[in-house]
Amino acid sequence: MTREQIKLAITNIIVSILKHDNFEVNDETTASDIEGWNSLTHMMIINEIEVNFKVTFKLKELNKLNCIGDLISLVQLKLEKS
Amino acid sequence: MENYIIRNATESDVSFLSELIIEAEKSNTDKLSFSTLLHLTETETKNLIISILKEDIDCCEFSISSFLVAEINGEAIAGFAAWIESFENEKPSSFLKANLISFTLNKLFHNHKVNLFQKSDLIKDLIIQRDPLALQFEYLYVSEKHRGKQLSSKLIKTIEEKYKLIYPNFKKAQVQVFANNIGAINIYKKNGFEIVKSYKSNNIETINYVPFNEKFLMEKNYTDDKRTN
Repeated sequence: MTREQIKLAITNIIVSILKHDNFEVNDETTASDIEGWNSLTHMMIINEIEVNFKVTFKLKELNKLNCIGDLISLVQLKLEKS
Repeated sequence: MENYIIRNATESDVSFLSELIIEAEKSNTDKLSFSTLLHLTETETKNLIISILKEDIDCCEFSISSFLVAEINGEAIAGFAAWIESFENEKPSSFLKANLISFTLNKLFHNHKVNLFQKSDLIKDLIIQRDPLALQFEYLYVSEKHRGKQLSSKLIKTIEEKYKLIYPNFKKAQVQVFANNIGAINIYKKNGFEIVKSYKSNNIETINYVPFNEKFLMEKNYTDDKRTN
């Protein structure tokens, strides 16, 4: 799966959970840039990404994420390893 | 005055801390949000919290390092969590907490299905952002037998003294409390906190999942004199 494909899939997950697409997704986008991304929706987004891509995140991996770019890179890495 | 000892919590306190967190979450009601939102029994919630605490993550309400414990005759009877929000560029505590719950839930209950979709709308209006570098208070609990002995105030003052050493420049403390928790509100007011904002959910279903449909954000501002009275 290409990075662009992963980015699109993650974007779609965010839209489906937050129920809006009033945001731009680029590598530097953070949770605080996207309306409605709070601690509860964060859990939902992470869970949905794990289910959708069939990956499991370690706690230290989750805590290192600073932006969408980090999340995309992490998914890409997980998919390459699987 | 009874011989209470106030000390930092250690890993040996995790069982007590998990019970404390559960009682504080209930906020004098029968509503435990871990149960109502995550479909866990109280025993499963206790095991989840113990597992979360043992991950040993700092700077949130699920950090052993955040807790002070009061004990008497070697038995823990009260506790309180406090941390400096986003201290030293740490992530917001809300995301540390979300990651901890998400990860640990998956680890302990592999096939546990939680549909948070509908429930997120019920509580989204009660989610309060914490200010970076503000001292956060959370999970104050004193066992019933030991109430009315100024222990809460002593815990607050001990925390203030502790954090004056760790981060002398903190200017503000914040605490979130359900609006129906009159006892806690009065304790905080007695210790210099004021209600600064109300957060309310107008969804009538909210009260089925959390202790109340309204939360107050209370704050205390500090000058150099007020950090220790």
